[in-house]
Formats: sequence, structure tokens, C-alpha cells
Amino acid sequence: MFSNGPLTQQDKTRALNMSLSLLLILWGFSSVQWNSNLIHAGGAHTADQLIKALLHPALNKEILTRAFKAVGITLSYALTGMSLSLLFAFILGLIASGVLFENNRFKLLVKGTRHLLLFMRSIHELVWAWLFVAAFGLHPLSAILALAIPYGGTLGRIFSNMLQDVPKAPTNALSLVGASPLQKLFYVYLPYAIPNMVSYAMYRFECAVRASTVMSFVGLGGLGYEIQLSLNDLEYTEAFTYLYALILLILCIELWSNKLRLSPSLKLHKHWSIQRISIFGAALATALAWLYIHITEGVHLTDLFNEKNLKYTFKFLSGLLGVGDQTPAFLSWQAWHKALVLSLETLQMSILAILFAGLLALFFALPGSKYKMNQNSQGRRGKLNFLLYYLLRGVFIFSRAIPELVWAMMFVFLFKPGPLPGILALGVHNFGILGKLCAEVVENMDQAPLEALKTSGASAPQTLFYGILPLTLPKFITYILYRWEVIIRTSIIVGFVGAGGLGQAFKLSMSWFKYSEITLYLICYLVLIGGVDKFSNMLRKNI
Amino acid sequence: MIPTRTIQLDNISKSYGDTHALTSTNLIIHKGERVALIGPSGAGKSTLLSILSGAIQSDTGLYSLNNENILSLSTKQRAESVGIIRQQFDLVGPLKVVHNVLSGHLGRWGLIKSLLSLIHPFALNDAREALARVGIENKLFELTSNLSGGEQQRVALARLFVQHPKVVLADEPVASLDPARADQIIKLLVELTHEGEQTLVASLHSIELAKKYFSRIIGIKDGAICLDKPSVQLSEKDLQLLYRLEHPHV
Repeated sequence: MFSNGPLTQQDKTRALNMSLSLLLILWGFSSVQWNSNLIHAGGAHTADQLIKALLHPALNKEILTRAFKAVGITLSYALTGMSLSLLFAFILGLIASGVLFENNRFKLLVKGTRHLLLFMRSIHELVWAWLFVAAFGLHPLSAILALAIPYGGTLGRIFSNMLQDVPKAPTNALSLVGASPLQKLFYVYLPYAIPNMVSYAMYRFECAVRASTVMSFVGLGGLGYEIQLSLNDLEYTEAFTYLYALILLILCIELWSNKLRLSPSLKLHKHWSIQRISIFGAALATALAWLYIHITEGVHLTDLFNEKNLKYTFKFLSGLLGVGDQTPAFLSWQAWHKALVLSLETLQMSILAILFAGLLALFFALPGSKYKMNQNSQGRRGKLNFLLYYLLRGVFIFSRAIPELVWAMMFVFLFKPGPLPGILALGVHNFGILGKLCAEVVENMDQAPLEALKTSGASAPQTLFYGILPLTLPKFITYILYRWEVIIRTSIIVGFVGAGGLGQAFKLSMSWFKYSEITLYLICYLVLIGGVDKFSNMLRKNI
Repeated sequence: MIPTRTIQLDNISKSYGDTHALTSTNLIIHKGERVALIGPSGAGKSTLLSILSGAIQSDTGLYSLNNENILSLSTKQRAESVGIIRQQFDLVGPLKVVHNVLSGHLGRWGLIKSLLSLIHPFALNDAREALARVGIENKLFELTSNLSGGEQQRVALARLFVQHPKVVLADEPVASLDPARADQIIKLLVELTHEGEQTLVASLHSIELAKKYFSRIIGIKDGAICLDKPSVQLSEKDLQLLYRLEHPHV
């Protein structure tokens, strides 16, 4: 990473990037008024109660039944939303990949679809949920669509990349045999891409469960809704029951998807490999989920389009466009000024959150990986490493299984509403994710250079600085930047519960039906996301 | 009887940017000939075969295939006239062997038929016969990616057998195989095309194989044909001229 001698262009770019990043971080710190006023008056007491509840969740029969039911609803929304998103992703991803079109007439269609996918995934699922609830009311389809659209956008891009990555040679060979583009789709592209698509969809399911939990926050049933209700009633012990249910659910999915990823052809029964079971199981569960929602909630697609709903939708859409508003927010200088200040605050929040998550993850990546444990497995030191490993892995799981929104709900009890609880919520959740990713990087690193260092007599700290860090740091930074892009998308979410930034203002405008302000904030949100993506891309290219 | 001119190239050129891959090439190949293209790497053999297959178009000149301008042929007509086999990377790994072999029919089949065939193979007998001809009938329902390099090359040959074009082109078909297997595959290719009364044009690295199995040898160097004679007349001096480095210091 560092070289002596004359500075190359790359060195200069790196130095510039590093100073830019440092300046941004310093600027980020100014977002919080650092004084004793930050902590809630009853914060200490609440913290005490929360910790007690953490150790003693409510376990009576009534709560457990409710939790069980909530898990069912959350899973159903995740499955139905995911299945719809797969449909969107497949169709749009196929068009966006361009493999079906051999002449340039369709260039515009391909480009347009790519932008549509980008737009779909730029807006967070909870924001979609708010918008749909405002437009259609508290209808299960609002939740399903809110999940299906951003997930369709993400999966669609991945699917289109997978189709484009299919080897060129067989495609060209079949062109010469005289195959049409559609025939090539079924004889080359899909055989190569479908296994990858399936395993990626399985992997995304874990995220869909978390998203479905968060989404129920807007008032649709499920684990998130129950957690919110319990926290509002200060029933912390009940809240933790639901939280543990969520963690257990996520843990099960993760264990299963790990098995699936590492040994897909492992046979659990004579003819049934784990992959086959998963695919059939997922299909069956999806069918059941649609049925369940259809029966319990009486969902009919036509509901969305009845006269009353159409009227509301029309009213909402014209509200967004500022129809009937004397001065729509997006035409008022004052409103723009406010939105700009809020956008900068949101940006600062995201920077501090990623700093918090990134530094902690870097610090704990080594003790949180099997590498360290295997290094010193003997004696008391070995036992300590062993304990530390499992403790940290537990902390990683705990902190990432709880969605940032729920973290924010708890942190606003401890700290006064404002950027700080938002930063902590985003930071803690992403620490769990980055911790896991970075520990995996350490576990997967190339052992040969480390062995060579050891044979040449390097001490443990020397191995760290000459081997482990240079081997892993570029990947850590890539992950950190990637998570920053995710954080800026979710920063609006934590604001919904009073944790500062654009989100807080968004929620207020929503409650007061000031829809033209919503448009303004959405514009700022999209610009912010676009800017962060660009900047992070630039940094990543020069690691 | 005057032999039919299957392939006729008039003044064909092709360049990529500043590189002249092929310069003003004229060539006539008659029906049923077995032609080997030899020459150093990067001489233009692959470019010539790609133009012959219709995969790329020349910048200038006229290419007639069975007395018809190649540009005037439909995809289907072209697939009936000419087919090409390359190294084994041309196959679809995640498909079963039977589907790779039957994809030789895609130019003739409509979409619905080709889709149904993926579920329940049509023309299973064609696939069986083709695989039997190349000696791996037992691999019919195996996953193509599980086959060895030599077996995959046989599958590609079987597909070509099913496609049955009038002209068979082969671009370094055995470059990644060991000498014994290479010999088997070339022998098979020559036998199959001979029985099918097809014309064969193959580029080869091995002079030995070229002399053993082909009747006519064409040498290509720096994008131009510099040698064209019956293989029995090929001399050591010809080869030295063909493969000599013009700029040994480079």
C-alpha cells in the first residue's frame, strides 16, 4: 500500500482520497452537540430496565403464542414479497442484460430498464411502505409491493450481471448453428445463470425477513409491529421476547443458507440433497404464504383498484406533485434550505455511523475469527481465545439480527431524539454485519505468505503488520465502503423514530399530509444516495 | 466433370484497428476437399476461419459459398451451408450432453419445439447415432461439464454431425489435447466429413497431422496466403520459410 521513491499518480490519488475522507469524518463530528444534554433524563433507569429485560424476557404462554403468530406473519410477508420480487427481477433483469436483443433498436429499452432497476433499489423498502400505505391504505399488498420493488431492483441488477457473465464461446457457437436469441436464452444463458440466481435468491431471503420485520412498523402486523407496540407500552420484557424470536428466526435461516452455500449437494435423505429440499421447501412455503395472507387478510388484487382506493391514490399522487398546494415545498426557497440542512445532517450521521461500525469491526475481526483461535489453542490463553471467539460471534449475530430501526427505537429511550441515537443504531447494526464479513476475510486469507513470514522468524505483531493487515485491509475497506452505501439508504429509516436527519422530517410531513414536502425530501434522498455511491466508487477504485 | 467451387474468396481483407489480420486474400476450395491451414500464431488463420463461418464480415471483397454471396443467406441457410468446431469451450457446461448434441438442430427447430426438447428430447435417435459415431454413446444423459476435455470435443463433433453443414470448419480443434487424443479426434473428423461428402477446412498446429490426414495444405503468414500445395508436395524448405522469424530481435 505504501511505496517509497517518487510519487506515482496512484499515490497522489490515494493521498487525496485519504485526506478527503479524513476531512469528511472530522466534519461528521460536528453533527452532534457534544455535551451532557445528550442523555435522556431517565436514560440510566431505562437502560437498567432494558438490560434486565434482555436477561429475563417474558415467557408466558400468551406472549409466546403471539410471538409465534408474529413470526408466521413476518415470514409470510417475506416469502410473498420475495416471490413477487423474483418475478420483477427475472423479467426486468432479462431485459436489462440485453442478451435478448441483438440489434441496436432496443438500446433505449435496455438502458431505460437499467435505470428503472436503479430507481427501484435506491429507495428503501420502508420508504416504499410509507408511500404505498399513504396511497393504498393499510393493505397487505402495500407491504408485499414495498418489499418486492426494492428487492426486485437489487436482484434484477444481479440477475442481469449473471446473464451477461455467461461464457461467450457457447453463445457464439449456437449463433453459428443458426439459433435465435430466444433459443440461445434457453440453451445457453438460463442453464448457466439459473443455479446462480437460485442460490443468490436464497441468500437474500435472510435480508427479506429482516426487511419484512421492519416494514410492519408502518402498522402492518408481524414481529416489528409487536416490538414497536411493546416498546411504546414500555413492556420491555415482551419486546425482548419478540426480539429473541427474530434473532432465532434469522439464525435458523443463516445456518441453513450456510449449509446450502458450502455443500449444496449434501444428501439429507436418499434422493434429497439439501439444495433440492431448499428449492422445493421454498416453493411450498411461498405457496402457503400467499394462501395464508389470502385467507387471513382477504387479499384480492382487485382491492387495490376499487373506486375508493383509486381516489385516495390519485389524491396522494397529486399531493406529491403539489397540486392544490399554494406554494409546493419544492418551489419554496425556505423549504429547500431546510431540506439541504437535513440532507447534510443525514450525510454526517452516515459518516459517523460507518466510522463507528468500521473501527469496531476492524478491532474485533481478528479475535472474532477462527484464525486466532487455531493459532493459540493450548493453555489458558487458548481457552481465553476460544471464549472470546464465541462471545464475539454471538455479539455479531445479536447486533445484526436486530434491525437498525429497532435499535433506534431503543436508543431514543436512552438518548434525546436527534442524530446521536440514529448514529448508534446504524453503527451497532452494521458493526454486526461488518464484524462477520471481516472475520470471514481473515479466515479466508492466503496462508502461504503468513507461513513464510513465520519461518523467517517474524513475531506475532510483526506478522500482523507485514502479513495479515496488508492481506486483509483492502477487502475490509471495500466492505466498509459498501456498507456506507447501505447506511446512507437506511439513514432515512432511523429518522422515522426521531433519530434525526431527513427521516424525522419525512415522518412529520407524512403525519401532517404535507405531501409536496415528501417529494422534496425524496429528491434530496435520491441525490444523496447517488452522491455517496459515486464517491465510494471513486475511493474503492483506488484502494 | 468440373468440380464445384464450394468456397470462393475474392480480394478479402480484414483489419482490426491498425492490424491487418488478412490482406487481399483470394482462395478457391472445391467440394469434398480436405484443407489444412497452417502457419505461425497470429498469422490470420482464425480470422480466415471466422470469415468463412460467417461469424465476422470482411472489410472488403466477396465471399461466395456454393455460388451465393454469404451476406445474402439467412441464418438458417447459412447454418445448413457451414458449421464450425473450435476447442471444447463451445459447449454449454450445465446442460446434459444430449441437449448439447441436439442443439445442432436449433437452426431448423422453432422455439416451442426447442423448449419442449429440453424437457423431453426430440430426435433422441439422432443424438444417439451421433454420439455412437464419435464413440461416447454411454454419455448421453451426463452433465457436459463433468466430461473430460477429449470427451467434450467428441460432443462438439456430435453436434456438428447433427447440424450436418455442407462445409465443416475446424479452428485449432485439438490444441488443448495430448498428441494421441488429438490424432484420434482429427481422424474422426476426417472420416465423418468424408462419409458425409462434406468439405473440410481445419487450422492446425501440428504439421504431422496436417500431412497425415489432409490432401491440401495452405500456409498463412502475416495475414496472407504464402503457400498452397498438395500435402504430398510439402517440403522442409516450405516449412522453414513459413515459420521463420522475420525479426528475431523482437
